[in-house]
Amino acid sequence: MISSLKFLTIHLKFITVPRIGVLLALLCISTESLAQENQDTELQADFAISQYPSDTAEAWLSKMAKAFKSLNYSISFVVLKPGVDSQPYLWRHAIDENGIEMEQLNLLNGPGREVVRIGNKVSYFEPNVPPYSLQSSTINGPFPSELFYQPEKLFDSYEFVLVGRSRVSGRSAQQIRVISNDKSRFGLNLWLDQESGLLLKMNMVNLEGQPLEQIQVAAIQVTEQPDPFFARIDLPMLPDILVMRGQQATTPRWKLNYLPLGMHVAKQDIHRLPMTGELVDYILLTDGLVDVSIYLQPMASAKASQDLIGRHESNTILTRQMGEVSVTLVGKIPAVTADAILKSIQLVQ
Amino acid sequence: MSQKFENLSALVDGENSQFDLQGNELITAIKNDKDLEQKWHSYHVIRYGLRKELPQQMQFDIAAKVMLALESEPAILAPKRNWRDLPVLGSVIPFVKQGGQMAIAASVAVAMIIGVQQFNQNEADQPFNSAAPILGIPGGLSPVSFEQTNTMPQNDMMEQRRRINAFIADHQQQMRLKSVELNITPSSVEQPAKNDFQPEILNDTP
Repeated sequence: MISSLKFLTIHLKFITVPRIGVLLALLCISTESLAQENQDTELQADFAISQYPSDTAEAWLSKMAKAFKSLNYSISFVVLKPGVDSQPYLWRHAIDENGIEMEQLNLLNGPGREVVRIGNKVSYFEPNVPPYSLQSSTINGPFPSELFYQPEKLFDSYEFVLVGRSRVSGRSAQQIRVISNDKSRFGLNLWLDQESGLLLKMNMVNLEGQPLEQIQVAAIQVTEQPDPFFARIDLPMLPDILVMRGQQATTPRWKLNYLPLGMHVAKQDIHRLPMTGELVDYILLTDGLVDVSIYLQPMASAKASQDLIGRHESNTILTRQMGEVSVTLVGKIPAVTADAILKSIQLVQ
Repeated sequence: MSQKFENLSALVDGENSQFDLQGNELITAIKNDKDLEQKWHSYHVIRYGLRKELPQQMQFDIAAKVMLALESEPAILAPKRNWRDLPVLGSVIPFVKQGGQMAIAASVAVAMIIGVQQFNQNEADQPFNSAAPILGIPGGLSPVSFEQTNTMPQNDMMEQRRRINAFIADHQQQMRLKSVELNITPSSVEQPAKNDFQPEILNDTP
């Protein structure tokens, strides 16, 4: 009885601890009177936030999703991945007078790579490729769009834990830990801006808690008016939307007997690889946060291959010989999970 | 007693406002009090549990178990007499023994140096902040590293690498196209396919 009570008091204390930490920090840098003032405003701010229902991780995430969809913002962030130089990006988002979402993502180093989204039209401008547009409501960027826009879709497969508050990018931030319920996928640490709910930092960590990939926001600006950049976009000049070839309904030849919790087959087809022209049976798995590709080839065309495991940035690459078939998996999941998925593949008779 | 635990709990949470005054006393108390020490340990475990920071394998106090095992070890009552017990040699041999000890100490030092060097090398392989600048297009394809069990002829290796790169490029492309296909509305499906879409994306996508 005593121990369970203790448990409760500790739990309650954790909620208040980081705030007190911030206050202590403030006390250190300010004079006595200033500190008093800060304390007052801090308490008021807390009151305002607790009026907003953000005392649960779910409420924080819906605040984030709302902020990402509805605010005019400009965010500078850096992506850090193993084995690759750091990649700085500028990300701008605005709502025009007709309520249409406009978004721009710009890679700031090198020859440049720019993506512009106006409503449901996403235009890619990249070196070595003629510009093209796709019909989509999200930009395929370095961050998991589905988490930002529809976090509620992940609630069944991931657990969201409110951890505490800290200071990130010079702002006070709420930390949220994201853990897959069946411990089969990498976890995330999110730091959300206390004021706006926008992302300040995101760490992808492996099952031991070691960082794999990091997004660090350097500067964040929320404005009343859309950024003047969006007024300069000449809509008719954007490339036409590419019309996709109608998907031939092929009967799936393969069956997966194991899938991590919340993961589903998003697509199953036969296509040619862009670089080598080889024909592959393809399965795309997704759980909203990570995408996993599985390629199946007859052994003869996959000559000279053998079982191997590799890593490209934070992607796990696993190739297995299974009877007459060579199976390759690419995706940001732990090798153990990748192996379990591959081993469960079965030919449908 | 409960007041003591209360203070301890506050200290663990970092809530102890008069840390300097009470905290020091409390820490001394923890050092001397088995009960408090145990509580100090379990509060931290609870804290990690609440924050979902528990390691996959819990390593509880091994030292205590080793101590227990040592205590229950049978004592050797009557050691056999050997050359060390001879009156003359008894005073000489310790030098030899010392030499042996020094040699052992030296080898430990060598092992430590090697250990430290290896450790440092591992540090340098840390994923962040240490990536050598990649020449060419930033964010472009970086070489895939393999952990292979047996050696392969050079040609096969190139072939393998080429295939893996093709898979990675295709994976990136599929991720980009996924949102398009998931968003297909009935009206867009009805549109006739005007051209076959096979974009050649040579670099990986951001």
